[in-house]
Amino acid sequence: MARPAPPAGQGSRSAGWIGGLTSTDHKRIGLNLAVCSLVFFLIAGVLALVMRAQLSQPDNHIVSDQAYTELFTMHGSTMIYLFVTPMAIALAMYLVPLQIGALSIAGGRAALAGFWTWLLGGLVMQSGWLTAAGPGRDGWFSYVPLSETPYTPGTGQNLWVLGVILAVAGMFIMAGCVLATIARHRAPGMALLRMPPFTWTALVTVLMVVGSFPVLIVAMILLYLDRTTAAHIYSGFNGIIDYQDLFWFFGHPVVYVMFFPYLGCAAEAIATSAHKRWFGYKAFVASMMAFSGLSMSVWAHHMFITGGSFNEFFAFTSTLLIVPAGIEYFDMFGTLIGGALVLRSSMLFGLTFFVQFLIGGVSGIFTASPVLDYAANDTYFVIAHFHYTLFAGSIFGFFAGVYHWFPKISGVLLRERLGKLQWALMVVGTNMTFFPMFIVGGEGMPRRISRYPQHPGWGTLNLIESIGSAIIAAGVLVFIYNLWVSLRTPEPAGSDPWQGHSLEWWTTSPPPALNFEAPLPPITSYAPLQDLREQAEDEAREQEPATA
Amino acid sequence: MRGGAIPLVVWGGVLAVLLALNWLWTGDMIQVASFAFAVLTVVGWVLALVSRRPRQALRRGPPAGAGEPQAVPAASYGSVLLAVGAASAVFGFAFGHFPIYFGAGVMVVAAGLIGRELRAERQARARWRDGGRR
Repeated sequence: MARPAPPAGQGSRSAGWIGGLTSTDHKRIGLNLAVCSLVFFLIAGVLALVMRAQLSQPDNHIVSDQAYTELFTMHGSTMIYLFVTPMAIALAMYLVPLQIGALSIAGGRAALAGFWTWLLGGLVMQSGWLTAAGPGRDGWFSYVPLSETPYTPGTGQNLWVLGVILAVAGMFIMAGCVLATIARHRAPGMALLRMPPFTWTALVTVLMVVGSFPVLIVAMILLYLDRTTAAHIYSGFNGIIDYQDLFWFFGHPVVYVMFFPYLGCAAEAIATSAHKRWFGYKAFVASMMAFSGLSMSVWAHHMFITGGSFNEFFAFTSTLLIVPAGIEYFDMFGTLIGGALVLRSSMLFGLTFFVQFLIGGVSGIFTASPVLDYAANDTYFVIAHFHYTLFAGSIFGFFAGVYHWFPKISGVLLRERLGKLQWALMVVGTNMTFFPMFIVGGEGMPRRISRYPQHPGWGTLNLIESIGSAIIAAGVLVFIYNLWVSLRTPEPAGSDPWQGHSLEWWTTSPPPALNFEAPLPPITSYAPLQDLREQAEDEAREQEPATA
Repeated sequence: MRGGAIPLVVWGGVLAVLLALNWLWTGDMIQVASFAFAVLTVVGWVLALVSRRPRQALRRGPPAGAGEPQAVPAASYGSVLLAVGAASAVFGFAFGHFPIYFGAGVMVVAAGLIGRELRAERQARARWRDGGRR
């Protein structure tokens, strides 16, 4: 372990739910963050279902135009600021100290304050529903001048801006704690090139958070000043472009913040279920550094059509992303080839993450070309691309992580049959929902319209999308039922049910307060437990001839 | 700690190269400024790490064994109240002065509680060292 066991009794120790909500233990903070994020996920899912109900038929009138703008704004905002991004940080918060053999997170108090700041930010954002003018309604990027007071008056939009500031500040603080933990709290022997793949994905994630999130906070403070005073900061064409530059300097990196940790989840689930180390580790690490660096320099591909960005530069950097992305796929195939594959739920979700993300990634290469983006921009093609990366990709990676690490976190196994049923429902639902969007988008159906006219094929395809979203919802319900059944009638998991590779499987399930009770094994690679197994096998093989 | 600053140096280097490319290619000052901010943030982290342990932070290889005892807090009411106070103050920008004053008051209380917690930690470390000598 990194340090000798600390003296007990620092801070105040409370039991029960108050103790849980004031705990500075990284596992408790990570769990609290994950549970609250999941609640926000359910809220965002309900909003999506109402939207899909509205769009299931041409010229439908279930909700008004303004209600529809509120629905898509709050769906996108909730998913990005309150579910996918914080869930990525929650996974890092819970798992990174365990994987690097640390006793605790660096700056436990700061991490706790960060969690509460994020949660209260989320509640401030959602409190807009209680105002007379309704919640924010300018999309999750809240472009100016639309989000200026003359075009979007009312307190709800102000609360949206303030909520974003708090939520993003909270995530920034928590990410800083994870970064400091990796830098300063690794166990003896845990060199940087011995950190597990998930920890590397978490590291590049938090690097991107600390590099890009403060820019959004500044952009939102300026927007708030613009809305409430006569500051005129974002006035004129340059002001509009400046806002977009500032927003997307956060907005594109956050897409990768919502991707890398789930890539790490899928990688760990696949490697463990293949009973083989993650292939091409050093190339993977190098590609992570290049991938995350490049993804900080592609943001203005969201602004190709504005006439205010240098399209050649951003098309170049966006297209370069293919190279590190290709390495991840190469590593995935290398891990599968020759492995002893067990198709458990985590493996299925992990493999599907790679397959479906490929569709999102390839369609992203289309939109990285300014010429093609001019046609695709603001159509359903972009919605399809975006959801194939973040839902069909990241959410499947998330569930790979859930099925992989739930036994570690809770001490009990999730039901495999229900897991596979959930996977099947979600694969069918996801592709039914999002693939037809490529077709209607290609035919020019604009995004963010509450109703569309009769058009050959659009009604049928939109109906298929709406049915698909209901199937996704059924998959999520199966997951909730699986959680309930598994916790109610527990099947004990033991400390290492999958023959895991990294240090979290060395400790008990769930881990104790300071993570490890037994001394850590020797750390000589990024898969120390696999090293032990192979060493034991070698010794057994050597002894066989002697005994024979 | 050993080598903890290395990935930041590498990543900051990648960002600096991309910043230079962006500057040369676009010359757009808001873009360059945003990018430079990110590079400076990473440089700030590197400096913070290096200033704590100058030799260790940039030296390759696995971390060494135990150093100073580490005091790990179990819970912190002060941290929760700090966040509640800050959120209340921010909420007050949309809903009037009372939440701002209330939030400021809560933050003062929170700072006091955190101060007490830190003092308890220092005392615990001191007790541990005394116990070690005995």
